[in-house]
Amino acid sequence: MEYYSQFMQYLVSYQYELNRYIATTIRSLDDENSLMTSLAILGIAFLYGLVHAIGPGHGKALVALYFTSNKSDYKKAFKMGYLISIIHAFSALVFTFGIFFILKTMFRRNFDQFSDIAMQISAVMIISVGMYLIYEAYKSRKEKEKKLIKSNKSETAVAFSAGIVPCPGVMTIVLFCIVLGHYTLAILSAISMSIGMGLTISVAGILSIAFNKKAGSFMDGKTYILEMIGGSLVLLLGTFLFLGTMR
Amino acid sequence: MKKYFIYLLFVSSLLAHPHTFIDVYPTIKIENGKAKKIQFIWKIDEMTSSILILDVDTDGDEKISSKENEFIKNNYFTIFEDYHFYTYIRVNGKVIPFPQTKNFKATIEKHRVCYKFEIEGDFNMKNTVIEVGDTDFYVALVIKQEFLNVQGMKAIATGVDNDFYYGYKVEFK
Repeated sequence: MEYYSQFMQYLVSYQYELNRYIATTIRSLDDENSLMTSLAILGIAFLYGLVHAIGPGHGKALVALYFTSNKSDYKKAFKMGYLISIIHAFSALVFTFGIFFILKTMFRRNFDQFSDIAMQISAVMIISVGMYLIYEAYKSRKEKEKKLIKSNKSETAVAFSAGIVPCPGVMTIVLFCIVLGHYTLAILSAISMSIGMGLTISVAGILSIAFNKKAGSFMDGKTYILEMIGGSLVLLLGTFLFLGTMR
Repeated sequence: MKKYFIYLLFVSSLLAHPHTFIDVYPTIKIENGKAKKIQFIWKIDEMTSSILILDVDTDGDEKISSKENEFIKNNYFTIFEDYHFYTYIRVNGKVIPFPQTKNFKATIEKHRVCYKFEIEGDFNMKNTVIEVGDTDFYVALVIKQEFLNVQGMKAIATGVDNDFYYGYKVEFK
């Protein structure tokens, strides 16, 4: 636990410093130093995304649980990690730009409603994925580990479930850029940050696949138990998320 | 914009890890081991401040008027009552109820929104530890040694790992 504590301390410290640095650098942007400073900002945004996504959240748990309960390859983990982060960043961009350019006057009245709907959609999708995983595990048990042809539908659903709730970290940077009038930089920063986050989320998926492979050989033909546990945990995650929107 | 801010609080509690950073500057004058008043200054990070400024600095002069101060107090400061202002005062190891805050004043310093406020009581600082931290881990509150302004006793600021969140504490010797 001591190592974990130190790790947490470093994580918070790095984010604290990156947050300050990124704000100062964006503010210092002017016509003379625009290219180099913009590139520096995008580099920092990438690092910020990478470190930011190491903390709890951002779909890592969902991805980890999904790949724990599904036999897959590392390529798929990368694909899903990046799909989540792209959706995550895109939804943050849409929400944040929406505040300023489309819903400026309506937003205060309706924002709660919009955010609740986004969260509820996400929760329902996660619950569906959990139920689907449990069903697949049950089927796999019935068919005695007979190879199943699985579609990519469930993976896309997982990516949408995890990514649809916009990332407040991305939203803050985007809004900060907009306030200072750097609209293009706002979009590029969100993309850069999402590339960093995607890498972290992908690693979570890869580690789960590696764990699944190890545990699979250890459990010798009873991997459906692992799959059922994974599916049930995804279901629980979705239920808690849904209940959270009801408070 | 207030709803946007609250939304960030809410969503981030589900995606728990810090999105807002607050530097906490405590000022305490201790006489014979006791203090009657503790003053805190919160300096909110520049990016979060920019969101706040959009809504609260209505005349855009980068200064907070008394009217704007009242608006911030009622809309952006008192919401932290539910979170005990992220501050836990431990006396002999037990957390005491957080006293009523007084003399709230908001300012903008170097593009950062600052909240200054005080609490009053009869604090025996030998047995007292001040802890800051957000249990939801949305806000990271930071106290560095150089943020302390303590007269009359030696004060030491250290980090505290509380499993789900990371905070800081100040001990007095």
